[in-house]
Amino acid sequence: MATDKTSLQLVVNGILNENPIFRLVLSMCPAVGISTTVMNGFMLGIAVLFVQVFSSCTISLFKNVIHPRIRIPTYTLTIATWVTVIDMVLAAYLPEAYAKMGIFVKLIVAFAIITMRLEMFACKESVNASFWDGIGMGLGFMFGMMALGFVRELLGLGTVLGYDVLGFKPLLFFVLPFAGFFCVGLMMAFFNYVEIVYKRAKRA
Amino acid sequence: MKNILTIIFRLTVACLLAGLVMGAAFIATSKAKKHNIHVNEQKVMLSLLGFSAKNPAPDSVAMHEVYRYLVGEGEELAMGYLLPLQDGSFSFVTIDLAGGFVAQTPVTISPEKAVEEGERTQAVGAAIGAEKPLRYADQTIVVTNDGKRMAYLLPGKFPGFKTFIGAMLALDQDFSIRGLEIMEHEEDPGLGAEIDQDYFKNQFKGKPLETVKKLEVKKTPLPEEYLKGLEAGKYGLGADEVARIQEQYQDDDIYALTGATISSSAVTNGIKAMVKKFAYRVAILDRVLAEQHIATPF
Repeated sequence: MATDKTSLQLVVNGILNENPIFRLVLSMCPAVGISTTVMNGFMLGIAVLFVQVFSSCTISLFKNVIHPRIRIPTYTLTIATWVTVIDMVLAAYLPEAYAKMGIFVKLIVAFAIITMRLEMFACKESVNASFWDGIGMGLGFMFGMMALGFVRELLGLGTVLGYDVLGFKPLLFFVLPFAGFFCVGLMMAFFNYVEIVYKRAKRA
Repeated sequence: MKNILTIIFRLTVACLLAGLVMGAAFIATSKAKKHNIHVNEQKVMLSLLGFSAKNPAPDSVAMHEVYRYLVGEGEELAMGYLLPLQDGSFSFVTIDLAGGFVAQTPVTISPEKAVEEGERTQAVGAAIGAEKPLRYADQTIVVTNDGKRMAYLLPGKFPGFKTFIGAMLALDQDFSIRGLEIMEHEEDPGLGAEIDQDYFKNQFKGKPLETVKKLEVKKTPLPEEYLKGLEAGKYGLGADEVARIQEQYQDDDIYALTGATISSSAVTNGIKAMVKKFAYRVAILDRVLAEQHIATPF
């Protein structure tokens, strides 16, 4: 079964229709744990984007030789390999970025979103489609994380990207992990509402 | 049965491939990684001495590396120090455990190669005779300003709560602590990992040798004023104020981190041991150097 979507549609699909955080509700632990600031969300998003794209392409390239009964171990192995390689390359050639991102990169091995995408998409589709799907998913994850980070940073610390915009700290509650669930829930509701309004407008 | 064999075969091949990729990446990046670690170490050393990009170290400041080895002298164990000499060559000075001078052997090695542990150990082994057991122990960096001693930098490792904690300690000439930086650790985030935060590691700053010798951890909350002094950058305190607060608390024990008493005391005991042993060894080394008229640049 090959997808009939164009590359652009695949990317948009990852950002909106199948946004990993708000629509697929995958990888909630890191989303809730890390998305305390816009910058954190961006860093994790970048890291996920790279691992997702590389892993998707690898799996889609080797999909015919992977035995169906050892799919999941092979996916995990692929993700772990890419995470390790990216981690080493970052440490060697971008030490300053690594100092900030290193901890996020290592977390990714356990992300549900990447395994799910390999299982749902990359193991059935062409390398090209998987590449764009990976880009879409990575951008979607980054967008979700940054949106969450923006709300939580603004309401929790009164800053955006580290710059003080409000001048006071409205609710420290938003920086704590459990507030992440509230934010995800509220934003999910918002996205669903937008979708309903959009569909109604289309029908009318 | 055949099915199982195929699965085993394919999974093995997949693992081998993954291993190959990771190994190749490791080999390709290891040199740049080592270089980065070295550059970072240099930066930390300078910042511990109080220099930064804005306030660079003057040319009169020089760093001299001293490497300590354990040498087997017959049945006995002795300390060996690889020292740079004033004329730019290296010399290996052996001192027995009681503090008596044993031997001095010239070592032929270039300063660039002396940084590499493998080559250095080989050169030292060749100089003193290959049959003697030789083990690298640690290194000390003696910082001089205009030929006069200014500070000591001690990179060290000690056991933490989970694995080893790597630290870089800067000592003044009188062995009071000038600064502490945690280089690597794997303590729990949010608990033990707080050891690399200013409000913990700056507590060591300014403590004189006598205080460090009997340093303990105490489990009372950190006084608010002290906290402000420790995180001076965050609260925008002036240098005078920081110095006053530091002096007021300089004979205090280390305030333990909440929920991480073991990590706190591991660091405290590690630092205590490092400073105590170093002060003892440096006194012996200095005495031997003076007695034997060995001219070092520090």
